[in-house]
Amino acid sequence: MASGYLLNRGALTLGIHCQRVCRDISLSQVREKKRWMKAYTYLMAKKLKLEGPPPPTPRSQQPHWDYHAEIQAFTHRLHENFSLELLKTAFINPCYLQMEQEKRKGLGVESETAALVLKDNMQLSKKGSAFAESFLIDWCRASFPSLPAIGVESIVGHLTSPAVLTYVARNLGIEDLTMSAEFPVPDDVLCSTFMAVIGALQESSGAERTGLFLRDFLVTQLIGKDLFDMWTVVNPMGLLVEELTKRKTPLPEPRLIRSAGASTVLPLYFVGLYSDKKLLAQGPGETLAAAEEEAARVALRKLYGYTENRRPFDFSPQQQQQQPFIQSASN
Amino acid sequence: MTSRGTPSRFLRSVLQNGVGRYVCQLKRISIVFSKKAQSSLGARDFIEEGVVDYANKNPGTVVYVSPQPCRVPKIVAEYLNGNVREETITSKTSQQISELLTKLTNQSGLEIIRIRKPFHTDSPSIQGLWHPFTNRPLSIGPIRPQKPDSQ
Repeated sequence: MASGYLLNRGALTLGIHCQRVCRDISLSQVREKKRWMKAYTYLMAKKLKLEGPPPPTPRSQQPHWDYHAEIQAFTHRLHENFSLELLKTAFINPCYLQMEQEKRKGLGVESETAALVLKDNMQLSKKGSAFAESFLIDWCRASFPSLPAIGVESIVGHLTSPAVLTYVARNLGIEDLTMSAEFPVPDDVLCSTFMAVIGALQESSGAERTGLFLRDFLVTQLIGKDLFDMWTVVNPMGLLVEELTKRKTPLPEPRLIRSAGASTVLPLYFVGLYSDKKLLAQGPGETLAAAEEEAARVALRKLYGYTENRRPFDFSPQQQQQQPFIQSASN
Repeated sequence: MTSRGTPSRFLRSVLQNGVGRYVCQLKRISIVFSKKAQSSLGARDFIEEGVVDYANKNPGTVVYVSPQPCRVPKIVAEYLNGNVREETITSKTSQQISELLTKLTNQSGLEIIRIRKPFHTDSPSIQGLWHPFTNRPLSIGPIRPQKPDSQ
């Protein structure tokens, strides 16, 4: 068929199929103008338009890939000592093992001759996520001592949510190394792989190093985020009243401080909350109710110490190192 | 083209790199060159002399060396955020290629397009941003919303 013939010639000449690097014309081809080239390019463009772009393939199936080298580079890049066996186990997901078993059954290979000697990462993943949660809760409580338990839970819940974990995992190159049945790697598989990597780090290097790792990669995702983005509070005024009764201070009284454009389409009201005639916080809003709610939120932020102008978190390298740094993988 | 017609981005880092620990953003480089062609001479010299030192100095980057029959020798750099950059090294000397590699190693993988501002901060204000009511004395007496009929 004409298009099949053109396809072969095009593949030889252009060599664009499944190759990132363009190959050039090999010596056996003629150098003159090719009369079939225009028809070929138009056919291929039409095919692309019809079928859409080709599905993405995993990096391990593209040229230039050495798994062992990639794993080693991964450990050095993060300046961590991993036991390579544990790390390789951490990247193997149960869906991948299932797929391999099915392939072997499909090919008729007996399970004794070619047994699959791979363990999956479920155990490491559970360990890692338990450790991550406990570390993040401790860190939150230490940094924000006056934040109540629900607040701490919401912050930790946000940091261990699939959205944040997949973002961090994709930008650390974990997606390339993951062995899973489907590509692109689904979010939950990627999350559990990331947790398994943390579990592997914990078993290789101990709790302290893993804590520093989590601080450097997960806690940094808190930079620039506001408390009430992560913690949805429906009634901030009620919460504020509770907090103040706990601290035995007089209850807040809202007063209108500033107002502008009351009869226009964009009114602005500043409402201040006074406890015993001293200003707690003030907040703006389009209506009086909105301004009062905003003032309550500002007051809560001040009470919990989560304002924008608080002292930044301490990310200094290797604080409180008791053991000497074993192997420095630095440049 | 004008800056409005071309893409632009804000100054940022990938995953707040540097706040915690510094992670070299270059994942892997593939050096594609020819064994015999003239344009790959610098590439071949670099492979003889400099590539092993480079690989030892950057243990976090995987170096793939691929001699292929090709007319245009290339370096393909892949970054942690998924971006891939191809640089041609036709008729470059070994020294120029190693400088190019240093440049690629020090880049984050973000696109090389116009950066709108050369600064970025997550905490733009310590004492609070100014608004027209800052430092304005309160008027005497309680303030009430104006009634629309009072005019």
